[in-house]
Order: sequence, then structure tokens, then C-alpha cells
Amino acid sequence: MRKVAIYGKGGIGKSTTTQNTVAGLSEMGKRVMVVGCDPKADSTRLLLGGLAQRSVLDTLRSEGEDIELADVRSPGFSNTLCVESGGPEPGVGCAGRGIITSINLLEQLGAYDASESLDYVFYDVLGDVVCGGFAMPIREGKAKEVYIVASGEMMAMYAANNICKGVRKFADAGGVRLGGIICNSRNVDNEHGLIDHFARKLGTQMIYFVPRDNDVQRAEIKRKTVIDWAPDCPQADHYRNLAKAIDGNDMFVIPQPMHTDELEGLLLEHGVLG
Amino acid sequence: MARILKAREGQVTRSRISVDGAPDLDCDRRSVAGSVSQRACTFCGSRVVLYPIADALHLVHGPVGCAVYTWDIRGALSSGPQLHRLSFSTDLRERHVVFGGEQQLEASLVELIARHRPNAAFVYATCIVGVIGDDVDAVCRAVSGRTGIPVIPVRSEGFRGSKRDGYSAACRALESLVGTAPTDGVTAHSVNLLGDFNLAGEIWIIRDYLERLGVQVVANLTGDGRVADIRRAHGAALNLVQCSGSTVGLAEHLRERYGQPYLRVSYFGFEDMAEALYGVARHFKDPQMMLRAREIVAEGITEAMPVIRAVRPDLEGKRAAIYVGGAFKAVSLVRALRTLGMRTVMVGSQTGTAEDYRTLTALCDPGTVVVDDSNPLELASFLVEEDVDLFVGGVKERPVAYKLGVAFCDHNHERKIALEGFVGMANFAKEVHASVTSPVWQLTPRRRREPSPSPLPGAVR
Repeated sequence: MRKVAIYGKGGIGKSTTTQNTVAGLSEMGKRVMVVGCDPKADSTRLLLGGLAQRSVLDTLRSEGEDIELADVRSPGFSNTLCVESGGPEPGVGCAGRGIITSINLLEQLGAYDASESLDYVFYDVLGDVVCGGFAMPIREGKAKEVYIVASGEMMAMYAANNICKGVRKFADAGGVRLGGIICNSRNVDNEHGLIDHFARKLGTQMIYFVPRDNDVQRAEIKRKTVIDWAPDCPQADHYRNLAKAIDGNDMFVIPQPMHTDELEGLLLEHGVLG
Repeated sequence: MARILKAREGQVTRSRISVDGAPDLDCDRRSVAGSVSQRACTFCGSRVVLYPIADALHLVHGPVGCAVYTWDIRGALSSGPQLHRLSFSTDLRERHVVFGGEQQLEASLVELIARHRPNAAFVYATCIVGVIGDDVDAVCRAVSGRTGIPVIPVRSEGFRGSKRDGYSAACRALESLVGTAPTDGVTAHSVNLLGDFNLAGEIWIIRDYLERLGVQVVANLTGDGRVADIRRAHGAALNLVQCSGSTVGLAEHLRERYGQPYLRVSYFGFEDMAEALYGVARHFKDPQMMLRAREIVAEGITEAMPVIRAVRPDLEGKRAAIYVGGAFKAVSLVRALRTLGMRTVMVGSQTGTAEDYRTLTALCDPGTVVVDDSNPLELASFLVEEDVDLFVGGVKERPVAYKLGVAFCDHNHERKIALEGFVGMANFAKEVHASVTSPVWQLTPRRRREPSPSPLPGAVR
């Protein structure tokens, strides 16, 4: 079983990219579980066709410890399995602890057992590695490979660089490695060249360049992945290609995060700043 | 010499013949990592100060352990309600940490206030509440509005600092209660008692003396304390502050806010007890009151002296060590032990200030070890090196003494016999005598001059 965590700046399209990629892997015949690690519990909406699912933490709160795996795991598009960690309302409690609690519970319930015959588990983690809780999926070997979703926008690259620091920190203890940068294009000038260069500077690769296409938004409105909504459109093929790239990936590195001036120099060089 | 961590070297000294020009003891700072400090956490500091208020509800907002380990920690006596001796907790669990504990806090407060009808409620914030960011203030305001009683947040998250920061948090909580009721019936000759916790009825001894002086005691802060008294405490003419560490911050605040002067006193030992009464009489500039003070002192010493005389020959020249919370108490103890003919060879405190230690070094015989924020290993070494006959301390020092076969006198939470006032000095003399002269110490390896079966690390024979 390959254990994958997807990180990236808030709003960059982590959940959309993850679900569309998972749809592609699933189409290839892989058995995939997605664990949403965002208190908003909206990481599996496209696979499930809506937000109906009860989160792990909501279930824990209402039912106590006596929970079955089926209470918190739902079947989604094309044989995928979907779990939402869930968490507190904005402004109260501790979302980070929620993720720790939730993943521990999933382990206890046997969600990762060999009997589940999983080929992949994907952790879709909110925003930056803001505290210890959000680093949970890459600690203790829970996820072995990380993909960072980024675009050519400056703040997205700052965040990606920061996440690399988190990955580096846990590389020794948990064995986690960076598998690449997924460029989710925002139509920034020279974006392909910039992210490709950025990835190489970090010691990794741009594993795929996903062009911007409004079909993604159209599918989202229908609560579907692109592959589900319009299997023959060009964007669906892009996600299939990304799924293949991840499935065939063999480049796993400990990233070399950049200093801020180095990062800004890169942006200047590619004509984004100034 | 005792093994002292390098970072703590400035916190240990020996008093000398002249204190002029000697550098101040390094103190009033955070404990050094690696030194197992005798200090407690911030939460514990606030809890010990506030909990003797007997008609208040004391709710610990946190995991159950915080409430359990401070349950009735001082055994403070009450002449009326006993609500303070119960320990209430919101019992925070994992799900409260994830989703926030505010709802649980509100539910607990509403339930407990309906059941126990307290006159006020104190809500203690523990570490976990500080980390998850519960808005304790907002919940307290809301419940206060619903129930009509003061519901007071105590900002005592354990990680905020040391026990001393907990004292400050407790003082802030008390400040919000003082001044919320009219002061009708408070006379011109009136005082509040700050920093006495009535562990064994001490405050009743002191109140009796003051009433005989003709002084009205408005509020006890906090031993045998009552919410209604504290609410009108701002009407008193003078604050008497014992236990320098815990409530001097409150006294400072009351002086600034209400113009109330304060007097630092100690009720322990003949000299300090007498000086406290004389100080009150001097403050009120009343010659009649001074005469009454002299009568009380004369009568008290006359009654206690036969006990002192009886025990003194056995105690003469014996060597004592002192380690207590506040250094002000240590000063009184040095004097009281002298009254018994004993010499203090080591003295220290958890929370003393540079001024306190100057007083102590000046008071003690040359060569006395003076130590700030010590730890069990150091204390054990000092007891052995100084060949101590008596150790005076609190619950955490007791095992150090007994393991080394040294007589012990509890001067803290676990007291059951009052040591304040003149009668308290007689009690102290009896207790010290009983412990020091107990034949059991002759059987310890230390006294038999045989090597101890397991040598103490760092100790010098």
C-alpha cells in the first residue's frame, strides 16, 4: 500500500486535484482510500456526490468510542473509500489534535489492515503544516510520499517551500519523502518553466502540469470529479495522466528548502516579480 | 560540597560576618531545567491562594488530574460552609480538546451553582484550556448573568510561569471581587487579613487578638474567607499582609485603587507576633490600643514561656534547616528557633526576593547556607553536610528529612495544630522538642556513624 499526503497553500486546489487524481487511479483498477484532514470536511465531496458523510470526530462525539469502520467510511465514485476526519467549528477547540485523534482511531478500527487490500491511501491536509496536528500524516511513517500542489503565484510557492521544511523535519524519523510538485495552473506567465525550475531547486520534480480549465468548475458544481462528469473531455485525460505519473513515480527525495532571497531571486529570474 | 548545577550557582550562598558589599542572591527567576524544583505550577499557586474561600464554588476547568492533585490541598478550616473542601472539575476529555470545552464549562457551572448555591464561583484555567483557546471569560460572564452570582475566571494556565505567577492570577481574581458591595458598618479601626490561610485555625487566634485590641476584621483573604466579606474589603482602613509571596500583589493593588495602606506582618514567633500587634496600634495612633497590645503580648508570652523554658535545655545548640514557600516566613522561623536556643544552619525558599534574602543573610549566623528555589538533591546534601537536627518545611520536604533520619516539623499545608500567635509558639516548641528528642533518630545510620548502605549522590561525609 502506498501512503500519500497532499499538501499546499489554502485554496490552491488540493482537494479538487486529489479527488480527480484518485478517480484516475481508481479507473486504473487501484483500490484507494481518501482521508480528508480538514475540519470543514469537504475533501471527499466530489467522490461522494455531496457532503452527506458523517465525519470521524462527529461520530466519536455522538457515539463515544464504540464505532464501526462502516460508521465513518463511505464508498465513493468507482470503488473509492472516503473518510472525513472532521473537526471543530472555526474558533474553538483544537483541529490539529482532531486529526491525531481521528487517524489513531482509523488505525484502531483497522482501516489500513491488509484485509482491506488498499493500493493507496491519500491524506488531503488543509493548508500549511500549521502545528503538530497537521503534521500527523507525515509523522510516524503514516504517509511515505508527499506531493505539494502549487501554482506560479508567489504565495503558493512560499507555502510549498515552507511545507518542504516540514517534510525535511520528519524525513529521518518517519521516513517521509517528497514525490514532486503538482502544478495546478493559474495561467501565470512562464508558469511551466518557473515551477519546473522551482521543483528542481528543491531537489524534486514537477510531476505534472495541470492546465487551467473551467470544466473543473463545471464538474464541481455537479459535485463530481471531471472523470465522472465528462470522461471524454481533455481535462479528464490530464488527471488520468497525473494519476499515471504518480503510479509510476520512482523519484522520492528529502527536499532542500530555499532561503527567502533565493526563492525571490527565482521569481525575478522568471519575470514574475519586478 | 553539595552538587549544585552550574546555572544555579548564583542561587546558593553562605551568610558572612558583614553583608556589606556582598552581591545579592540570584533569585526571582524561572527554575533551571534539570533541577527538580520544589515549586508547584501556576495553577497550583492560584488554587492554594483562593481555595480557602469557603462559600465559593471552585471549579477546575481541565483534565481531572488537575483537580485531583489539588483537592483540599491545604485542609484550610472554615467556621461555617465547607464547600471549598470539595474539588470540582470539568473533566476535559479528548473530544473537549478537539471541539472546545466551553459548552462543558457552562453546563458544569450551571449544574453546580444550582446544586450548591455558592455565593461566587472561581473558574481555574489549566494548561489544556490555554492551548485550545477556550474563551473562559465569555462563559463566566454569561453564567454570571444567568445565575446572578459573581463567576470569576482565574487565568492560571500552568505553563504561564511558576507558582508565583499563580499567586498573581489569584490576586487578579480577588481584585475583581473586592469593591462590589457597600461598606456599611465598617469602622475606622478596621483591617483585612491578607495571606493567612487558616490551615489549623490560625486566623481565629489572630482575629481574637485584633478584636481585643478594638480592631474590626472586615475580610479574611482567604483563610475561613467569605465572599460577602471580600466584596466589601475595600472599606477597611488597613491591610495586614502575611506570607509576602502570595498576596502582596493584591495589597499593592488595593493601595493604588482604594488608597488602603498595608503593613507586612508575621504572626509567627514571639517577636514578630508582638511587632504585628504594636504595628497595628501604631498605625491607628491610639495610645489605648497600644496599652491593650502590650497587655495581650505580656499575657501571651507569660502563658507560653513555661513551655519554652521546659524544652529549651534539650534543644540548646541544636542545628536547624528551613525550606519554605515564602522567605518572609523563613525570617520568622529563624527568630522563633533562636527563642528555642536553636541555630539555623540552612535557610531557603521557593519564591524569595533579593530583599528577603538580604534580610535573611543579615539575620542568620555567619556561614549559614542561604538558597533560592532548591531541589531535593541539594536539600539532602545540605542536611547531611550541616549535620542538621531538625528540618522545617512542607509536604515536599518531609520525605527528604525522614529518609535521612532527621527530625521534621511541617510548616505548611498539612498542619493540624496552629503555630501562629503566642499559643502557636508554645505549640511549635512542643512539636519541635518531641520530634528532635525522639529516640528513633539514634537508630539511623547517620547517628550510629556507620556508612549508609546507599550513599547519597553529591553528599560529603
